[in-house]
Amino acid sequence: MTTVLDRAAPPAARLHRDRRRWAWALAGVVLVGWALAGSGLFSGPVLNPAGAGQAGRFLSAALRPELDGGFLRVVAGSTLVTLAYAVLGAGLAVLLGALAAVPVSRTAWGGRRTGWLLTRGVLALPRGLHEAVWGLLLVNVLGLDPWVGVLAIAAPYGAITAKVFADLLDEVPRGSYDALLAAGAGRGTAALYGLLPAASGGLLSYSFYRLECAVRSAVVLGLIGAGGLGYQLALSFTSLRWEQVWTTVYALALLCLLADVGGRAVRRRVAAPRRTGYRRDPLPAGAVLAVVAGVGWALWYLALSPAALVSARTREQLAYLGSAAWPPAVDGELLGDVWSTALDALRMSVLAIAFAAAGAVALAALAARPHGPAGPVRRTAGALTRLALLLLRAVPPPVWALVLLFVLLPGVLPGALALGVYTLGVLGRLVGEAVEEADRRPAEALRAMGSSPVGRWLYGSAPALAGPVLALSLYRWEVAIRDTVLVGLLGAGGIGVLLSARTSAFDWPAVTTVLAAIVLLTFLVDLVSDRARAALR
Amino acid sequence: MAAGERVAVVGASGAGKSTLLNVLNGAVTPAAGQVRVLGRDPTALRGRELRRLRARTGTVHQHLELTGALRVVHNVNAGRLGSWPASRAAWSLLRPQDPGTVRDALGRVGLADRMYERTDRLSGGQRQRVALARLLVQQPDLVLADEPASALDPALADLALGLLGDLATGRGGALLACLHDPALALRHCDRVVGLAAGRVVLDAPARSLTVVELERFYGVTR
Repeated sequence: MTTVLDRAAPPAARLHRDRRRWAWALAGVVLVGWALAGSGLFSGPVLNPAGAGQAGRFLSAALRPELDGGFLRVVAGSTLVTLAYAVLGAGLAVLLGALAAVPVSRTAWGGRRTGWLLTRGVLALPRGLHEAVWGLLLVNVLGLDPWVGVLAIAAPYGAITAKVFADLLDEVPRGSYDALLAAGAGRGTAALYGLLPAASGGLLSYSFYRLECAVRSAVVLGLIGAGGLGYQLALSFTSLRWEQVWTTVYALALLCLLADVGGRAVRRRVAAPRRTGYRRDPLPAGAVLAVVAGVGWALWYLALSPAALVSARTREQLAYLGSAAWPPAVDGELLGDVWSTALDALRMSVLAIAFAAAGAVALAALAARPHGPAGPVRRTAGALTRLALLLLRAVPPPVWALVLLFVLLPGVLPGALALGVYTLGVLGRLVGEAVEEADRRPAEALRAMGSSPVGRWLYGSAPALAGPVLALSLYRWEVAIRDTVLVGLLGAGGIGVLLSARTSAFDWPAVTTVLAAIVLLTFLVDLVSDRARAALR
Repeated sequence: MAAGERVAVVGASGAGKSTLLNVLNGAVTPAAGQVRVLGRDPTALRGRELRRLRARTGTVHQHLELTGALRVVHNVNAGRLGSWPASRAAWSLLRPQDPGTVRDALGRVGLADRMYERTDRLSGGQRQRVALARLLVQQPDLVLADEPASALDPALADLALGLLGDLATGRGGALLACLHDPALALRHCDRVVGLAAGRVVLDAPARSLTVVELERFYGVTR
């Protein structure tokens, strides 16, 4: 019998390590080490002993929140304001995004790359600035108008929605679109019949995801003075009324929690609709109707008038800001400050991600729903872990920062921890879901061969999860660098502190410089993260 | 089953072949009845004892048990996880341990040149041979094979079943293989057991059967 084995021996295999990956791994370790060294953890005090008494009073107030009827009515009103901002902001963002998606999609530009790149570049600016930064700038133009909250959400969200919508449209298989074009349909009609139906699930799902995020952003915007729950929180905080602070924190955590759970339920049903005969799945359709009705209600509730946007005062203020902010300040002292605070922001984001990723991996086995039957201890521990992660991400990072600033001195550490705790809530859920969806057969086969649990994990589960976990962490790093600005605005440290100081001093040329630095920093982090993910694929 | 015996399990899809293998390697606990594997009852064992028994039982599925993100060498070395301490298993991921044995095993299935490739870059047939190499490194006493030749061409299928048979019987063990190719079953096994709806409906020495008879058992009519 002849078999392939009788052929000439192939050249001996040699172990080639992927140099690129090792370089990235080394760079990652160095970056985390650098961030740790600069965190102040090993050089001087980080704890704030003077805050201990206040922190004790703050914590003990958690069990007796303010339940006075008058205050509860105020909180309920603030919750509705926050909700109205979120619904209107997200609605406007989806509208803007849908309109802008057409000019930024590859499909619209065909083979003309320059035009496509240019339109993408235009979107990078609104996307690079955090909604809180938009809020800060808009407050200075519009004053305390409800438009501030709505536009601060709509501007960055509209830009990112346009990008994601365009990508979704570009990823749809082109067969039916090309066939319609060949049959003589116009490009618009062809897109309507050939691209939109296939992309609609993704578009709808992403719109709901944006609404979820908008609820969190609306809370945060209040903290910088735009009204709503966050504003109430800031008021109670500065007047040291801890019972009121806790009532507000519970309200905003509940709101974010409902948005998280509700949004996820709707998105899951959009992905896998429950159909009975020809009837539509009632949940997504009902959710869409509810949001549309919500937009109408929010317009009425906030009493938004387009006149405020074009009033003489607004135009005057805009013209003044435009002339005052240009040219940007470039004196050496400011640039030095920008450089050192930008590095602090980078340290913060790196530490936050390292902390969150390590925590998410450590909790992954517990956070994932058990496969098959599990004992009561395992089930209880899993449910508690998932609940804890839900609570961690229900409280926005700046609120964590406010709490941590009781016991920690301002600097990199409180900001990094605040972002880290919040990101752990998000990453923990994502990694847990990755574990649930992972292929169990390799690990099962190893068990059948008598492998120990450690061996099973090392050879069966971990290799398949390493890629997704790293990619998710890198993606959250891009989010975290944007959020460093936010926690900085509230005094935790980083480049946000500089921005808030220059804005309150009405030093507009310096503000322009700081904003440019923030956009550049987020752009660089996006670039590095993108390259690292490409190397890991 | 006696030591040194090679048994083919045949039957239509859903007849209970895979379930039988899973009961034997301990992945499934039977609802009724008794199992004895290598003289012991896997359902009565716990912890280290159970792992020791499982290390003596080698299972090869339809190449789906391999970890795609690992290099071939690690997937083959995974055959030794039943005997390696955790520290050695972890270190081997950085610096492959005992590459000589791995290279020999891969050489016997014709894949020595693919030793350091990522497993998910291989074709289905190559992966199935990697799974065989893992078994060669594990050196089990009882070899359980679930369609071990499904993705292989005829020549390689013969090679694979020959290797499995030698592996099992050479060390005084036994081979139990689920096969859906009647000719392969008759060529490489001493005894054929037929299952239908979870019950044994056929148990005969291989030399007393013909390919046509077996095909009829599968429901093939000519």
